[in-house]
Amino acid sequence: MIRTVLKTTLPICFGYLPLGVAFGMLFQELGYPWYFATLMGVFIYAGAAQFMAIGLLTASAGFVEIAIATFFLNSRHLFYGLALLNSFGNWGFRKLYLIFGLTDEVYALMSTIEVPEGYDKSKFYFLMTLFSQSYWVLGCTIGAWTATQLTFNTQGMEFAATALFTVLLIEQWIKVRKPLPFVIALIASAIALLLFAQHMLLFAISLSLIMMMVLRSTNQKVRDEY
Amino acid sequence: MNIEYLVIVIVIMSLATFATRLPPFVLFSGREKHPLLQFVAKYTPPMVMTILVIYMLKGVDFLAMEGLYAFAALAITIAFHLWKRNALLSICVGTSFYMMAVQW
Repeated sequence: MIRTVLKTTLPICFGYLPLGVAFGMLFQELGYPWYFATLMGVFIYAGAAQFMAIGLLTASAGFVEIAIATFFLNSRHLFYGLALLNSFGNWGFRKLYLIFGLTDEVYALMSTIEVPEGYDKSKFYFLMTLFSQSYWVLGCTIGAWTATQLTFNTQGMEFAATALFTVLLIEQWIKVRKPLPFVIALIASAIALLLFAQHMLLFAISLSLIMMMVLRSTNQKVRDEY
Repeated sequence: MNIEYLVIVIVIMSLATFATRLPPFVLFSGREKHPLLQFVAKYTPPMVMTILVIYMLKGVDFLAMEGLYAFAALAITIAFHLWKRNALLSICVGTSFYMMAVQW
């Protein structure tokens, strides 16, 4: 099972390692001990939020402001659980950890792939989440630790995340085979980029969900086909 | 540099992040079979995936060389995936190409 999970999550590794290293390098410029970069990866485990934290820490931002900013930056995750309600069983603490570790990449992977025959689903998901977080924590640590001594040029490696989402988009197309959700998402993205480029993800996801549900409740054809 | 401040910030950000990931599981537990929820569960992933791809590409300047490389890397990723349908392979080939292009 470990080998299969490793193979499944390796694309996440390509994305998380360089991004984590970039975070660690920026973080250590603040002058804190390196292991706080590790702790942030372990407890916060949110890429964009951790990068934002560097700015907030530099500005000595207030606690309420930090709480609100973090919540809004990550609020797209509010929708991610919806697709996985059926996939997660009553697995106690294991389930809590899966929810804690539901990042963009892990969500994308989990909502697209099927757990291979013969594997325990809860264990498979758990290892997927654990491995993905390990890549991130490892990246944060290496970055803060080695900082300027890094010799491997990771420039361009961030494309792995784009490639991962693209591949999963193709897989979603093969799975769904109906144009409507993709077209709606395109329209919602265009509107979001025009109106709220700063909060594009949250706005586009909310808008596309609303559009999809309105169409379902007003259009008989959509209701029958979808 | 203030360790106490940093620790509190880490705690707050951990809780705030978890608070964005938990609600669906609390609000809708036991109602997974509701037709509207099943509808939403089925169609959020394709929509989110489309939006994430656009989000990743929105910062790319398609009139610069970087944009040309990104476009080519994307085309290679898609072509490989349609050809072999091996996610890891498609991602590795596309990413390696992009890395070589921008580092050259």
